[in-house]
Parts: sequence; structure tokens; C-alpha cells
Amino acid sequence: MIEAVGLTKRYGNKTAVDDISFEVKPGLVTGFLGPNGAGKSTTMRLIVGLDRPTSGSVTVNGSRYAELKAPLREVGVLLDAKAVHTGRTAENHLLALAATHGIRRKRVDEVIALTGLESVARRRVGGFSLGMGQRLGIAAALLGDPSILILDEPVNGLDPEGVIWVRELTRHLASQGRTIFLSSHLMTEMAQTADHIIVLGRGRVIADAPVATIEAMATGTAVHVRTPDSDRFAASLTKAGGTVTHPEPELLEVTGLAAPQIGELAAQERVVLHELSPVGGSLEDAYLALTQDEVEYHAGGEAGR
Amino acid sequence: MTAVELKDARLSFAGVVRSEWIKLRSLRSTFWCYLIVVLLMIGLAALVASALPTDAGAGGAAGPRGAAALPTKPDATWLLVSTVGVTFAQLVIAVLGALVVTGEYGTGMIRSTFAAVPTRLPALAAKALVFGVVTFVVTFASLVVGALLAAPILDGRGTHPDLGDSSVWLALVGAAGYLTLLGILAMAIGLLIRSTAGAIATALGLVLVAPIIFSLVASLTQADWPRNVGAFLPSGAGGRMYAFEPTGGVSHGILTLDGWQGLLVLAGWCVVAAIAGGILVKRRDA
Repeated sequence: MIEAVGLTKRYGNKTAVDDISFEVKPGLVTGFLGPNGAGKSTTMRLIVGLDRPTSGSVTVNGSRYAELKAPLREVGVLLDAKAVHTGRTAENHLLALAATHGIRRKRVDEVIALTGLESVARRRVGGFSLGMGQRLGIAAALLGDPSILILDEPVNGLDPEGVIWVRELTRHLASQGRTIFLSSHLMTEMAQTADHIIVLGRGRVIADAPVATIEAMATGTAVHVRTPDSDRFAASLTKAGGTVTHPEPELLEVTGLAAPQIGELAAQERVVLHELSPVGGSLEDAYLALTQDEVEYHAGGEAGR
Repeated sequence: MTAVELKDARLSFAGVVRSEWIKLRSLRSTFWCYLIVVLLMIGLAALVASALPTDAGAGGAAGPRGAAALPTKPDATWLLVSTVGVTFAQLVIAVLGALVVTGEYGTGMIRSTFAAVPTRLPALAAKALVFGVVTFVVTFASLVVGALLAAPILDGRGTHPDLGDSSVWLALVGAAGYLTLLGILAMAIGLLIRSTAGAIATALGLVLVAPIIFSLVASLTQADWPRNVGAFLPSGAGGRMYAFEPTGGVSHGILTLDGWQGLLVLAGWCVVAAIAGGILVKRRDA
């Protein structure tokens, strides 16, 4: 369990994280989604005490991170693949981290095997590809077999096989009752991995809900309604606040009203429905809709002026 | 998910010390720096001993030229020859001390370190402990080997050192102590500055350039104070730790530290820099 209350971080006069409160619950994969510069990494650094909040607080399993007796046992963290001395071998890096907590060599070998690093474990990290660096970062996060796993952009630089591996690993760990907190700016990846999503934009939480709910938030999410009584029902739907188009004689495409509302309205109006189905509503649409005003750096923003 | 028992795994200072030991010995820069120190100190002691003019320090008789600068007692000559390498080794040790810290900042490793040891200061204390002990052992061993090599060479050239002279051995301990404390001072400078280039420049500036500036000012102004300030610089104070029978006092307005005062002053530099570095590390984002 991770709990943030009124968490704020300012660097100079730039506010990176602006008074955010959220909970990350055990047993779920929680996605932390937002455009670049939204404050995801800062929030994650605040959780593990690397950055000090300007105000507010964040706890892991009820304590501040710095107060934990065995931090690596409770929280595993991949902040970025570059938090490694490039002159050291992967194995020595892991051995050094393990030693702080008296974690034995056997466990180091185990995480090396688990992350598929056996063949490069004795090579210096400076020569690693981005993907291998990510695997090493994940290996380090898993060292203490932690109950909370915080991974900042874990699939960044991984090949498709690696992406699937991370997805299955995190799903598996969540199924064991662990708290999994993953950040990404790739919504498609999140749609397949996460149970719950927190969307951050310009340092603020702009959505915090189960994946299905976020998907339904997509503006432009339409509901297809097939009814022999289409003209009459279109009028009622419009009156109820929906926007209705009429692509086929007996088909209405409704936006602005959710499927349950439309069903209830049909019952009230005694309209026969042949079909009532939400369409589209991909997480991608929802995400773009949610963040369109929040994107820090618009591509071609200057050129467009 | 895990077959290995981890229940008893927890953060401990002993574990953090072990971690820092693994970190120190798993970098090539460590190996190369210490190798250079060992070779410099042993090699220079032997080289200078064999280059010394015959009878130069035998009994106070000044040689034909230049030899007047040599000490009068054979043991003083022996100590001087044995510690010639310190002048060079101090630069390498200062660089290594700075690197031990700035290498972590430069690569981002410091975030892994502080995530594992979130209270931060124990990690730095362990780092200083490990680096200090290794540096002391390596430099003291090199000095002893250098002294033992130099003694018979000097003996063969008419300067007869007394191997049982405890003041020489104590001074060698002082020389190793000086190098160790200087390395720790460079570490603390690394904490303050965080960038490798900046920290190395500052540490070397303090060791190399600052004494030159003060002695330059002293010779230009003919005043005593620049010389007296210079005595309190890390290299000035530290130099007294391995001087032959160092006695302190003030004569004609020029202040001289004795060996223990030199140690205290250098330790003071380390303590002040370490406290400043520690406060900044606690406050700053990693």
C-alpha cells in the first residue's frame, strides 16, 4: 500500500507535483500514466525518499520510506536504468546492494536468472543496451522480494519479448497480493497490464479509476442503439442530453450518455431495443482526451502559431 | 517467487560496510589508483636512496654542493627518502577520494545507494570507513616496504639508518595517516561539489595550489602571516605528521606545528568538510 496525501514538489518556481493525493492498493497493478514531464518520476522519487516533498507526505505500508527497517524487503524500485555505476559488473552491483541488507549471494543469483541476465552478469554495465539495463534495474528491485514494487517506465527499451515478460511478471506479482505501481506514457501497454490507473497531467491527478472506467471516460465514446423506433427515441435521447447521429435507418450513435442511462431511458419510454452496445472507447482515446490540455510540450507548438 | 529465505534480511551498518567494500573493490579505478600509489612510494624511495650522493647525510658534513639541504641525522635522511613518494601519492589519493563519491553521483548509482540506505549518512560513514582503512593499509605497507628497501641502499652509501628508531616508524604511520585523512577530505569535497571534475580540481587546488599562493604572498610581502596561514592548510599541517621529530612552537613570528597539532588541524578540516557534506546530502534531493 502506498498512500500520498497532499504531496507537492516544487523545483525553484516550477511545480513538478501539485498537491496530489492517491492510494496504490495491494493485489493490483496500478498504472501511473501521463505525458512526459507530468511528474510521474518525481512522484516515484518522492515515495522512496530520494526527493524531499515541498509539502504533504507519502507513506509505504504506513511508514515513511526512510523509517523502514529493511527498505529493500518492503519496496523494490526501478527509477531509471541508469542508477548504476557503469564501471561495475551487473553481478557486483547486485551483490553490493544485497550486502546492505545481508541478502545472500544465492538470492542475487536467483534474480539474475529471473531477469535473464546470466550471460552478461559479469560484464561491466557501461556496455549494456538499454534493455539489459532495464533488466538489471528490475533485478535490483526484486532483490529483497518486496511487497511493493515501483517501476518507472519498466518496458522502456525492452524488446517485445521483454515487454511481455514484464507484463506477466507484474501480473503474477500482483496476484500474490503485492502492490505494483508502474509508470508509463504508453497507454496501450497500460491497457494490457494495469487493473487501475492514475493519470497525471502537469503534476495533478486528473483521473484515478479502474481501467474500465478510464476507458469509458473517452470523450467521443459512442453507444450504438438499434431500435425500430429510432426517430422517437432519438428525440428522447437528445432531450436527455445526448448527442445523436443516425448512420443507418434503425441505428443511432449516441454520445454523451452511457449505455446504462440509455437502457433506463428506453425502459421508461417503452422503446424496444435490438442492440445497445458501447463502441470504441479505447484507453488511448481516453488518455488523449484526458491529457490534451495537460501536455507540457506540444509537438510543433511553436510552428503552429 | 523466491526460493531463498529472506526473512532475516534487514538493513545493518555491518551490511552497509560490506556493501561499500564490494563497491570499492569492484571498480578498476580503485585498483589502478592504489597500484600507482604503491609503485610510486616504493619506487621513489629506492630511486632517491640510490641517487643520493655518498656520505651526504653521514654526520652533518656538507657535501660539495646542494647537499647542505639534507638533514644532518642519518635517520632524518632515511625518513625523508622513504616519504618522497607521499608528495605524488597525495595527488592520486585525493583524486581517488573524490572519485569514490562523485563516481556515484555522475553515474546515478547514488540513487540506488540511497534507496537501499534511505537515512543516507550510514552509507557515507561506511564509505569513509572502508576507503580510509584500505588507504591506510595500502599506503602504510608501501611506506614500510619503501623504507626497508631504502635502508640498505643508504647504508651502502655511507648513511647508516637505525632500523630500531621508533620516531621514524611513527612518522611513517603519520605519513599513511596524512594520506588517509587527505583522501577523506577529498571525499567530503566530493559530497559538497558532486561533479568529478569540480571536486578533483578543488581537492588538488587545496593541496597543490593553495600552499604555493601563500608562500608566494609571503615572499612578496615579507610578512609572516601568509606563512603561518600556510601551516594550517591540509598539506602544511599534514606535512608535520611525517616530519622527523617534529617540534612545534613560535620563533621570530613563524608558527610551527608539532606532529600531533598537525594531525589535529588536518582532522579538523575533515570534520568540518564532512559535517558540511553530510548536512547537504541530508537536505538535497538525490
